[in-house]
Amino acid sequence: MQKNLSKARMLSVLLLAGGAVQAADDPITTASDPETGIRSWKYEGNGLGIEFVQVPPDFIRASYSARGLPASVSEAVASRCVFGTIVRNLSDKPLSYRVADWRYLKADGVELPIKTKSEWLKEWHAMGVRFSWSILADEPTFQVGDWIQGFTTMAEPHGSLVSLKVVWSIEGERYEKVMPKLECAPAPETDE
Amino acid sequence: MKRSCRNWNVRQHRKPMNKLVALALLIVAAVAGAADLPPLGHRMSPMSQPVAAPEFTLPDMDGENHALSDFRGKVVMLNFWATWCPPCRREMPSMQRLYEKFRERGLVVVAVNQFEDPDLVFEFTGRLSLEPTFPILFDRESRISEQYRVRGLPTTYLIDRQGTIRYQAIGGREFDHPDVEKLIEGLL
Repeated sequence: MQKNLSKARMLSVLLLAGGAVQAADDPITTASDPETGIRSWKYEGNGLGIEFVQVPPDFIRASYSARGLPASVSEAVASRCVFGTIVRNLSDKPLSYRVADWRYLKADGVELPIKTKSEWLKEWHAMGVRFSWSILADEPTFQVGDWIQGFTTMAEPHGSLVSLKVVWSIEGERYEKVMPKLECAPAPETDE
Repeated sequence: MKRSCRNWNVRQHRKPMNKLVALALLIVAAVAGAADLPPLGHRMSPMSQPVAAPEFTLPDMDGENHALSDFRGKVVMLNFWATWCPPCRREMPSMQRLYEKFRERGLVVVAVNQFEDPDLVFEFTGRLSLEPTFPILFDRESRISEQYRVRGLPTTYLIDRQGTIRYQAIGGREFDHPDVEKLIEGLL
């Protein structure tokens, strides 16, 4: 947990932790790519490995456009705070999670759910778009050695700070970890 | 000439990669580079309840249809993938090496691409260090991946000679690792 976490944020984080088994206070490591400036946050503990990587909106636009997806689809995602998310099962037993159980905490203390892959696909399919990928799988069970990656999206402005509560379970044991102060990718300069 | 039989001359005469696609791949590489991507493992997990592999028919790069039942009697490694997926790209050369080692004994590798255009995939495979010679099929609307309940890319299944799914792996793997080869040996 970062040392400069404000008291209010600390209180909120503690409140978020109520009612579930809190993961051990394993460290969260951060990194910044020297060439691109893209930042990432990584945690490994209690059988889970998870990493959040900033995804700039221009990446989403370029990636989706290259797949021939309509602008309405790419803009809906690009307008959000998006993290590339890598989830790994580091345990020797099956691990599962439900994105519907995850929450993010805004700077003002409001706790909100994360839009799941199923919710995105329902919208896309209603638009006649059969694209089923890029968003993080919402209810997988990982066997030993399995891992996956995809976007986690939050309805927050580019550049904002969010804390993210991740919940997972291994053989019925429930764990959670709060990733504090994840910084959404900044808006491209041309958008400002 | 069929794309599946292409050579360097064919590739030289193809249109250059679309700029948008190149940009997207560049940014994918940048984002992927920012993350500490997990090493490719080599474990495939046995299915808790082996199930019959759903039948399908899909076109290859030349538009020719292939059915799963065409490979009945062989061991099939069925891989769901896409070019934008970094671990899919990383594991593909190891699938080719595995295929080269075991195809004479009855292994077939089938890579089912998700959502993408054959032109784009053709360009992509031509740039791999080891170009795939196994069938690449196109599941443009992800209907087959839905049948197989694929949660994320890449996902790989090992199907035995009787058409039953025996092992699975979610996430990239080094498929020519001795651990995987041992599983293949057990099914052949």
